Amino acid sequence: MKTTAKDVMATSFKTLRPDSPISEALEIFKTSKLDGKTIFGIMVTDKGGSIEGMISMYDVLLFLLPKHVKIWGNISDIEIEGIIDRIAGKLKNLFVGDIMTPKVISVTPDTHLMMVLDIMIKKHVRRLPVVSNGEAVGMVYISDLFNHLLERA
Amino acid sequence: MGKDTLTELKVRHAMRKQLIVLGPDDTIDCCIQYLIKYKVNAILAGRYGEKPLGVVSKTDIMGAWYSELPLSTPVEMIMNSPPLFCRPDDTLDSALNTMKSNKIYRLYALEEGSNAVIGAIAYPDIVGLLYHYCSHCDQGLFNKRKEMEQDRVKRYKVHEIMTKKVESCQEDIALESVVEILSASRFGAILIVDNDNYPRGVISKTDITLCYRHGQDLSVPAKTIMSSPVALCYEQNPVESAIKSMIIEDLHRLFVIPENRQAVSGVISLTDAARLRSGSCHACISSRIRVDKN
Repeated sequence: MKTTAKDVMATSFKTLRPDSPISEALEIFKTSKLDGKTIFGIMVTDKGGSIEGMISMYDVLLFLLPKHVKIWGNISDIEIEGIIDRIAGKLKNLFVGDIMTPKVISVTPDTHLMMVLDIMIKKHVRRLPVVSNGEAVGMVYISDLFNHLLERA
Repeated sequence: MGKDTLTELKVRHAMRKQLIVLGPDDTIDCCIQYLIKYKVNAILAGRYGEKPLGVVSKTDIMGAWYSELPLSTPVEMIMNSPPLFCRPDDTLDSALNTMKSNKIYRLYALEEGSNAVIGAIAYPDIVGLLYHYCSHCDQGLFNKRKEMEQDRVKRYKVHEIMTKKVESCQEDIALESVVEILSASRFGAILIVDNDNYPRGVISKTDITLCYRHGQDLSVPAKTIMSSPVALCYEQNPVESAIKSMIIEDLHRLFVIPENRQAVSGVISLTDAARLRSGSCHACISSRIRVDKN
C-alpha cells in the first residue's frame, strides 16, 4: 500500500500571520505542545490559509545571535540568563514576516513518504508543510515519519 | 606611511564569509527582509557564481520609500552599480583607504583569479580584529591578569575618537523629515530629543526600512517609531569598554554624554573605532599606532 504525507502529517497545528508580533511566536514556542511534543516551527499563512513562509526556532536564534559573534570567544562575562528578555526590546518593532523564512518547500497530501524523506534529507529540514489546493492542511515532522517507519520495521 | 596594528594583515583575516545575494528581479520587500534577518546594511544583487551587478543599501531603500516606489519594485531599479571590490590578499590598510577615499562602508572580496565573491569587509569587521588583538594583549583592559593590579596604562577615551557633530531632531517632527535628514547624512541614525534637548530615542536607517515594509505613514511623528531608551556611554569611558558594549549589545553606535549628564556631546560608532587602526590603549603608541583622522 502506498504511504503518503497524509498518513503521517499532524493535522492540528498553529499558524501565524506575517504581521503577527514576534512575541506571539515566542509564546507559542514556549507554551504550546501539539501531539505531546514541543514545536519548533510554525507556518505563516495569509487570511486565506495560503503559506507565506515559516518561522522556526532557527530564525529566532539567528536574530538573537549578535552580529559580531566570531569575536565572542574573547569575552568571558556574557550573560546568557535572560538574553531573550533583553533582546525583546529589539524584537518589539518586528513582525513575524520580517524574520520568517519566506521560500518554503511544501508537499501535497499525496506525496510519497520516501519523497518527503528525500526532501527532508537533501534540504536539511525537519518539518514540511502539507498543502492542498493552495491551503495548508498539515505538517509532516521528521520524528513522526521516523516513528511511522519504526512501527513498520 | 606609519606602521599600525593592521599592517601586514590581509582582507581575508577579517572578512565575513556569509554572503547573501539577491537576484536583480527580487523585490525591495524581499531585500528589506534579508537586511533585517541577516543584520546587514547592504546586499549584493546578481547571480551566484557571476560577478555581482550592484549593491543595495539601507540608504537606497530609504530613497525608494521617499520616492514612493512600491515594495514590489525590483532591486535592479534602485541598486548602486557596480559594487567596489577588493581581493582577499589585499592589505587591510589598502581596503580601509579604498573605503575612505570612495566614502563607502564596505568592500566585497573577489576570489583570486575569478569573479566569484567570497567575502565582505566592513568597518565593524576590522573592529572585531582589533578587539581580538586587545583581548590577547597583556595590556588589554579585560585581561584577567590586569584585574589583580592597578591599571597604569593610558587608554584611549571615548571623547578622543568620538564624532562630535551629532544630528538630532525633535520628537514631534514628521517621519518624512527624518528620512530627508538621514538621506543627506553620512550617519546611520539620528538622535531624537525633547524640548529640553534631552535624548529620548534614536531612529536608524534600519527602523526606517522596517517602517517602509510595514506600510507606515510618513506623516507620523518621530516619537512613534523611535527606539528608546538611547544607548549611552560617558566621554571618559575607555574605548575598549565602549567597543565591548557595542559588540555584546549588538549596537552600531553609542551616544556620548559628559560625566555630569548634560546634553549629548558626541557619538561613537564601530566605524569610529575602526579608524584607530590599532589597539585601544597608548601601549600601542610607541611602535604602531596611527589614528586615522576624519
